[in-house]
Amino acid sequence: MKKYELTQEGQEYLKKGLPEKQLVVILNKQPMKSLPFDEAKKSIGNFYIGLQWALKNKWAKSYGKDLVLAKYPTDIPEQNALEKLDKGEYAEQNLINTLLQRKLIKKIITSEADKLVGKEITNLTPQLLKSGLWKQVKFQKYDVNVPVSKIYPGKLHPYRQVIEEVREKLIGLGFVEAKGPLVELNFWNMDALFVPSDHPARSVHDIFMVKEPEFGKVLDKDLWKRVEETQKTGWITGSKGWKNWDFELARKLILRSQTTAVSARVLSKLKKDDLPHKMFVIDRNFRPDVVDATHAIDFDMCEGIVVGEGLTFRHLLGYLKEIAETFGAEKVRFKPSFFPFTEPSTEGVALIKDLGWVEFGGAGIFRPEVTHPLGVEVPVLAWGLGIGRLAMIKLGITDIRYLYSDNLDWLRNKEVVR
Amino acid sequence: MPTITYDKKDLLNLIGKKLSDEQLEEVIHSMKTNVEEKNENEITIELTPDRPDLFGIEGLARAIKQYLGLQTGLKKFAVNSPKLHVKASYLPYRPHLAAAVVRNVSMTDAFIKSLMNIQDVLTDTVGRKRKKIAIGIHDFDKIMPNINYIEVNPSEKIVPLDTNEEMTLAEVLEKIPKGKDYGHILAGLKKLPVWTDVKGIFSFPPIINSERTRVTEKTKNLLVELTGIDKEAVLQTLNIIVTNFAERGCAIESVKIFHGDKSEVTPDLNPTFIDLGIDETNELIGLDLKKGDAIDAINRMGYDASENKGLLRVFIPAYRTDILHKVDVIEDVAIGYGFDKFVPHLPSVPTVGKSHSVEKLSGKVRQLLTGYGFQEIIRPVLTNQKNLFDKMNLDRENVIELENPVSEEYVCLRNWLLPSLMEVLSANKHVEYPQNIFEVGDIVVPDEDEETMSRTVRKVAVVLAHSKTTYAEIKGVVESLLKQMSVNYSFKETSSRTFIEGRQAEVISNNKSIGFIGEISPVVLEQWELEMPCAAFEIRFEL
Repeated sequence: MKKYELTQEGQEYLKKGLPEKQLVVILNKQPMKSLPFDEAKKSIGNFYIGLQWALKNKWAKSYGKDLVLAKYPTDIPEQNALEKLDKGEYAEQNLINTLLQRKLIKKIITSEADKLVGKEITNLTPQLLKSGLWKQVKFQKYDVNVPVSKIYPGKLHPYRQVIEEVREKLIGLGFVEAKGPLVELNFWNMDALFVPSDHPARSVHDIFMVKEPEFGKVLDKDLWKRVEETQKTGWITGSKGWKNWDFELARKLILRSQTTAVSARVLSKLKKDDLPHKMFVIDRNFRPDVVDATHAIDFDMCEGIVVGEGLTFRHLLGYLKEIAETFGAEKVRFKPSFFPFTEPSTEGVALIKDLGWVEFGGAGIFRPEVTHPLGVEVPVLAWGLGIGRLAMIKLGITDIRYLYSDNLDWLRNKEVVR
Repeated sequence: MPTITYDKKDLLNLIGKKLSDEQLEEVIHSMKTNVEEKNENEITIELTPDRPDLFGIEGLARAIKQYLGLQTGLKKFAVNSPKLHVKASYLPYRPHLAAAVVRNVSMTDAFIKSLMNIQDVLTDTVGRKRKKIAIGIHDFDKIMPNINYIEVNPSEKIVPLDTNEEMTLAEVLEKIPKGKDYGHILAGLKKLPVWTDVKGIFSFPPIINSERTRVTEKTKNLLVELTGIDKEAVLQTLNIIVTNFAERGCAIESVKIFHGDKSEVTPDLNPTFIDLGIDETNELIGLDLKKGDAIDAINRMGYDASENKGLLRVFIPAYRTDILHKVDVIEDVAIGYGFDKFVPHLPSVPTVGKSHSVEKLSGKVRQLLTGYGFQEIIRPVLTNQKNLFDKMNLDRENVIELENPVSEEYVCLRNWLLPSLMEVLSANKHVEYPQNIFEVGDIVVPDEDEETMSRTVRKVAVVLAHSKTTYAEIKGVVESLLKQMSVNYSFKETSSRTFIEGRQAEVISNNKSIGFIGEISPVVLEQWELEMPCAAFEIRFEL
């Protein structure tokens, strides 16, 4: 049985001879046994294929602009093999390989596929497609409700998906993303925000202190002086101040307890040319707590500030409303609230489907005692969202520990946030 | 934030108007606070830290009355001239004092409850757990002037409140609960501060009062005495207490205190004032209030206001201890006007938004790693050395440790990510493998060159956990990731005890080590009780 059939090219060479054969025959006919390349090129089709093989077999060589016959072959094994295979006769395997490589022959598919003609088959194979036999087979019907094995996609953490959505929203609103260190100086976390030295929220029960080293560095001495004056006397801010200020406490290293520390850092670096400016940060904070379903000691906050001439409390409410809508708020309300660094201050409450009214974040306009020492003389709108709690709403979870979950089953099976 | 529970009937009595629960809740929300709990008889609210004048039920009722328009403007309190004199020694560790006599009290259950409540709450908060301020309230008729604030030897005696036993001050500090709780404030003193009358010690601040001057249902007149380390806080707190009591119809009588040749009279309930421009008010809150509107609003918040040379002169009641700056009054204009009436307005502030380079890069890396089919993990930054070093078969290194941890599990900040991922694998031993997970997150390392003596570094870690994972597989991932992120790289053999010897390397880019890669040592796997081969890498990207 015939195992190989000639390709179209193979058929042509069967008739005309392989290009290298054609080439040496022509050269042999020349009186000087040579031809200029230009002429040789025109003499046969597929000149370069012929040339390559003639050179490789050392039948011809190039001499300047001429191609010269080196040795006229008495026998061309590939040509013979081509003829034999066409008749279905035996040929050496290395010659078959060469011809296969040159795509002059192809294997006749006599596989299982032939046997399948007219029958019902399970799998459509490349062979069936290549041979065209697919036209002659029937495809077995599947149970379309067949149970299949589970596939777990590589996914972002559900919490990340919420964070990314909020980031996208804020960047779209023109906010520039900022970052700050997780280990922070009390100064940035509290003092620069006009929180008095003896404020209860600064006790060991509310802030993690760093064991060693105990103190950070005072880099901008002028700034520290302005903050000290403001804390003690109100400086030029028009405030009464807190009368006392504890420098040693301000130098202490702590774990950041609020991303407002990053806002203070950003404000201290702002120049007049940077205005107006919008900044946001979504990052980790820490507070001493016993970890349970509603308390985490690692928690994220999403904080934003808008700095510019002519900004007002009503504008602040405008931003808050816009952000609340990201979390599916149907309505928002604003209640009076208190934060040591803002005045007026408010707490936003949002009406969320199936949940009712939910507090979504605190906000206010930074006090002059905060902005002036940091070198900012225009209003600064500031807001902070407990993004973890909002993500819980969005993800429909009631245990805060899922936000840093080690539960792989949950992570794999939790639907993506839409 | 601490909470406080009020008797609803008493509150409504003091307000003088019947309010539904919803109405009451609504108005309380305007007092910068939340209703935490309510039932038929009681209502629990969160304290508003800047408004200690609302901690007492009488003060809260007053503010509600004003806000509802039942009694607007500055509430005036008559103060009778002093009959009682106090001689005060200068005690440097507790130099400030103030006192008042409150006459004609009627000791109803509600008043007794309120009196105890206000003392506790104020000493805990404003008083910073008695360190800054301590309050004593006594049956004035049991006190026999002359009255002195002096220091005495610890061997002097008192019958402490709620006991029948006379004991020395030293014994008070050692034996009774209040002495143990607050004795640290007096630590190291050779002599101790006391209030005395002709019969002896009747108050031992900041520890305890005497049983002799205990307030009972029969008490008709009160002596309120405060001591502390912050003069203004002492005076203001007295104002809050006496104005609260006065709301129940008692008469306030001042006390004259002699400091050597000098004397002062407490309390001083005269209002202070601040001048406010209507323009600056409107500029801050974004409204267009006329002077009359602003005055109406501020009256509802318990101030008086009148026009003075084009400005509003706002008179601030003596119990408002929170007014440091004009902005505090402007906020009250906004609250008095009503937050619900503000129409939110998103302004057009032309700025271009931008993500932080660290987050942008992290996003790209996460995208690639999920593309390889890996699950993202987010873990706490707080952890412990056992996880970071012991279970990773490493010697302990210097990390950022907490001075005041709350549990053994969270005592320091992680200085690498891999242990966080091992923790996750360890918690999911019975979950289907392969478990291929990653985290792109922050670690913190000590660094003396930095302002905060440390650096927060964004890193990437990947662990592949399945039966056929190898060094070659994880190397394929890291090579692909680095190539996609246009980072050049090479690998150099290392010998960390976390990984199998001969199957681990440092990842090097631009002659710098950017991380490591390897097959996790079975010693480590055993520590995490894992029975599955793991290959991992952890790298950081230069920005």
